[in-house]
Amino acid sequence: MALRALLGLWLGVVIVLGFGLPMVATPVQWYQLPVIPGLEDKARIIFFHVPTAWLAVVGFAMSLIFGVRYLRSRKIDDDIKSSASAGIGFMFCILATVTGAIWAKFSWGTYWNWDPRQTSIFVLLLIYGAYFALRSAVEGEERRATLAAVYSIIAGVTMPFFMFIMPRILSSLHPEPILNTQGKLHMNTIMFAVFLASLIGFTGVYWWMWRLQVRTEQLHHRIGP
Amino acid sequence: MDFLSQNALFVVLLIVLVVWLGVFLYLSRIDRRLKVLEDAYKKGSQ
Repeated sequence: MALRALLGLWLGVVIVLGFGLPMVATPVQWYQLPVIPGLEDKARIIFFHVPTAWLAVVGFAMSLIFGVRYLRSRKIDDDIKSSASAGIGFMFCILATVTGAIWAKFSWGTYWNWDPRQTSIFVLLLIYGAYFALRSAVEGEERRATLAAVYSIIAGVTMPFFMFIMPRILSSLHPEPILNTQGKLHMNTIMFAVFLASLIGFTGVYWWMWRLQVRTEQLHHRIGP
Repeated sequence: MDFLSQNALFVVLLIVLVVWLGVFLYLSRIDRRLKVLEDAYKKGSQ
């Protein structure tokens, strides 16, 4: 309970700082955020949109890890953990797509323009959409778990390509190149601290949701209607 | 839409609300599933 309260408080502080810290052209005080050319106040999206994409990566990576563990152990618990993680990763992937599209409307003038970043996340949604289609189409617990584990490994291996590589090798309008040119972050200390705090807080939310989903599915497996 | 174009901070607010709405809906889904399990457990123990 204390941890959950701390998580709520943590994210509350992140939201207050994310919205409240002043943004100035040349920060001189420790609490001032730098103006990112072309983004201005919209740069604050980094505190809330990037963590959703991060959790999609965490969710899919955890799904892969527990997929491998299932194939080695054949314990249904590992399948439950793998599918729960893929589900939460998929949800955050949708959120990253939707929030990105809203941002695009006010920065690019359109919700969707098949930018490499949008295209790659769309392909990722299709890949993981097929994962759930596969799960619901296969009869038999063991067969479903085995096929899903193999698929989660294949999908998990393609994920870094769509999340990190493809948007970087193709020319994109996504502001990531402005904030992270040649591996150098263009954020001052306070901006980076709030960003990091947000990533940690959101990861806590993922962990909480994942444990809830896993415990529910384990219960379903034991007493299922 | 014009209001949002001129007030970028509200675009960020909209984005935060969408994120929390997604989390809320997902938690509601887990809650519904738990309710089904609780009902099944109650029936089984009667």
